[in-house]
Amino acid sequence: MKPFLLAVLAAYVVAAIHSVLAFVNKRRAVERVAFLSLAIGFMLHTASLIIDWTQEGHYPLFGLRETLSFLAWTLVVTFLLTLSRYRATALGSFTLPLVALLTFAATVIRSKATTPSAMTDGGAAWLFPLHTTMLLFAYASFFVVFIASIMYLVQERELKLKTFGAFFHRLPSLSTVNEIASHAAGIGLTLLTLGIATGMLWSSSRDGRLWHNDPKEIFAALTWMLYLALIVYRASASWRGRRAAWLGVAGFALVLCTFFGTRLMGTYHVFG
Amino acid sequence: MSIVLVGLNHKTAPVAVRERLAFSDEACAAGLRALVDGQIVREGLIVSTCNRVEVLTATSAESALEGTERISRFLSEARTVSPESIKEHLYSHADDEAVRHIFRVASSLDSMVVGEPQVLGQVRRAYSLAVETGTAGRVLNRLVHHAFRVAKRVRSETGIAASAVSISYMAVELGRKIFGSLKGRTVLLIGAGEMAELALRHLINAGAARVMVSNRTDDAAHKLAHEFGGEAVDFARLAEHLSEADVVICSTGASDYVVTPAMAREALERRRNRPSFLIDISVPRNIDPAVGQLSNLFVFDIDDLEAFIASNIREREREAERAELIVESEVMQFQQALRALDIGPTVGALRQKLQDIARDQLKRQRGRLGQLTPEQEQAIEALLLSTVNKISHPLIHRMRRSYDSGDDENIRAWREIFGLETEANAAGLLGDESDAETDF
Repeated sequence: MKPFLLAVLAAYVVAAIHSVLAFVNKRRAVERVAFLSLAIGFMLHTASLIIDWTQEGHYPLFGLRETLSFLAWTLVVTFLLTLSRYRATALGSFTLPLVALLTFAATVIRSKATTPSAMTDGGAAWLFPLHTTMLLFAYASFFVVFIASIMYLVQERELKLKTFGAFFHRLPSLSTVNEIASHAAGIGLTLLTLGIATGMLWSSSRDGRLWHNDPKEIFAALTWMLYLALIVYRASASWRGRRAAWLGVAGFALVLCTFFGTRLMGTYHVFG
Repeated sequence: MSIVLVGLNHKTAPVAVRERLAFSDEACAAGLRALVDGQIVREGLIVSTCNRVEVLTATSAESALEGTERISRFLSEARTVSPESIKEHLYSHADDEAVRHIFRVASSLDSMVVGEPQVLGQVRRAYSLAVETGTAGRVLNRLVHHAFRVAKRVRSETGIAASAVSISYMAVELGRKIFGSLKGRTVLLIGAGEMAELALRHLINAGAARVMVSNRTDDAAHKLAHEFGGEAVDFARLAEHLSEADVVICSTGASDYVVTPAMAREALERRRNRPSFLIDISVPRNIDPAVGQLSNLFVFDIDDLEAFIASNIREREREAERAELIVESEVMQFQQALRALDIGPTVGALRQKLQDIARDQLKRQRGRLGQLTPEQEQAIEALLLSTVNKISHPLIHRMRRSYDSGDDENIRAWREIFGLETEANAAGLLGDESDAETDF
C-alpha cells in the first residue's frame, strides 16, 4: 500500500512540475508529459484505493491519512472532468501542485490504529461513506470555483488597469473561467446538499439526532448558505463577474475552515 | 557542395537601395537563368520582398568565395546599379551561416515585425519560381523544405506569432480574452475610418455574426452597413443599440463624448450585466473614460492599445530568443542531412577501395619480381595506381552524373556493388573527406 502510494506521489510530482513548466513556457510537449504522468498517477491511485478497500475491509476514507489521499484523488477526478469540457489546462498548474502536496502529506502521516467500525457502526452504516465521499467531491468542486474565481479577478483587474502581466497570455478567457466557476459552484452545492443530508440521515439512524451543533456542522451550514447565495446571485444577474468571483474566493475560505479548522477545535466530527 | 547567400534587408539597406534591387517575377526568372551556370553556381533562388533581396545559391565546394563575388556582380549587373553603391549594404553568408540565415528569414526572425506571417509565403513563392525556372536542384530543394519545417516548428513551439501587434487585430485579441470566442457576437461600429473598418473586418473573420453601423449621417452608415452585410442603426438611439453590442468600435470625428456613463449604465442594465468591451480609436476620445469604471465594461482608448502592442512586441522578442535555439539545432541537423547527401565520400571510398586492391596485389606478388631498385618499385606502384584510376574514372564520372540528376537508386547500387556502404558512411560522418576526389 505505502510503496504503491509512493509511486502515485512520484507520478503526481512529475505531473505538477511539468504542468507548472508548461504554464511558464507555454510548451505543448511539456503539457503532454504532465498529462501523461497525471494519467498514470491517477490510475495507480485508483488501484491503490481499491486495494486498500479490499485489504483493510473498510471504505478507504477514514482518518487524516486516508482523507488526504482521497481528497487528492477527488481533485484529480474533478480536474480531469473540467478539462474534458473546457480547454483550461492552466487550471492544472494550480491544482496539481496541491494534489502532489496532499499525496505527500498522506505518505508521511502515520494513521492511528483506531478501527473505523467502532465509530461508524450502528445505524445505516452504508450512508457514512456516501456522506464523506460526496462532501470531498463538493470541496474539490469548490476548489475549482476558487481557482477559476482567482483567474477571473486577476484578469479583470489587468483589463481594467490595462497592465497586462505575465499571467494574461496564459490564462483562459474571462467567459471561460466564469463558466467554469459557475458550473463548478452548481455541482459543488448539489454535492454539499446531498452530503449534508446523508450525514444527517446517518446520524439520526445512529443516535436519533440530526444536528449536533458542533463547529464542523455550523461551518458546513454557513458554506452551504454562501454558495447558495452565490448561485442565486449569478442566476439573477445572469453574470456579475467580479462580485461573484469574490464570493467564490470567500466561499473557499469557509470550506477550508470546515475541512481543517474544526479538526483543530476537536469535536464530534474528528475521527482520525 | 557549398551554400552561398548574398543579400540585403531592411537593417542593412535603406528603402531607396532596396527598391532599386527588387526583382519582379519575370526579372527573377531571367536573372536566375543568367546566374546559374552549372559550373560555379549550380542552383539558385531569389527572395525579393519590400524588406529584402536575397540570392541563395548552391555552388561547387571549392568555389564558395568565387560564388559570392559572382552573385554580388550579378546583382549590380541585373539591376544596373554600380557595385560600389550596393557593396556596403550587402551581406554574404556561406554554408552554416547561409543555412542559419535562410532558416531565420523563413521563421520570420529576421523580419521587421518579428513573427509576421507573410515572409514564409514570400519564400515559398521564391522557391516555386526557382522550381519553374529549373534552378532549384537537390541541395536547394532540401534546404528550402527544411526551412519550411523550421518555420512551422518555430510557429507551433514558440509564441512568436501569438499576440497581436496591430491596433486593428488587437480588437480580436481582446475579444477573445473576454469572450473566449467571437463566434456569434454582435459588433457596433460608431463612426467610420480606415482603422475602425479594418478592425471590424478582423472581427468578422474571427466569427462575429452581426454588424451594426451608426453614423451621424445616415447615408454613410447605410453605405458602410451594406459593405459589411450589416444594418445601419439610428445614431439618435445609440443607447439602445449599445445594449445589443458585445463589441463597440468608436471612431468618429466628434469633439465631445459620444458614449457617456449614463448611456453605458442603461445599456448594461438592459443586457443584464453581460460584459462588453469598447474600443475608442478616435482622437479626441469619444467614450467618456468614466465608462471604464463600470464593472463588466472594458474600455480601451488608443493609448491603451499602443501600450498593449508595445508589450506584445516585447513578448514576441522574448519568444524569438527561444526560436533562435530551435534554428540552431535545425542548422546542425541540416548539416548532417547534407553530408549524407554528398557524393564525395562515396567517390573517395570507391577510389580508395580500388587502390587498396592494387597495393594489396602488388604486395602479394612482390616476391616474384626479384631485386628492384627503389625507383623501379615506385614506378610499378605508380603504374598500378594510374591503371586503377584510369579504370575507375568513367565509373566515377557516371556516379557524379547519377548524383547530379538525383538518381539515388543508382548511387546506392554502385555502393552495393563495391561494398562501400560502411566506408562511405564512416567517411560521411567524419565529413572532411567530402572533397577528396577533386584533384582527380
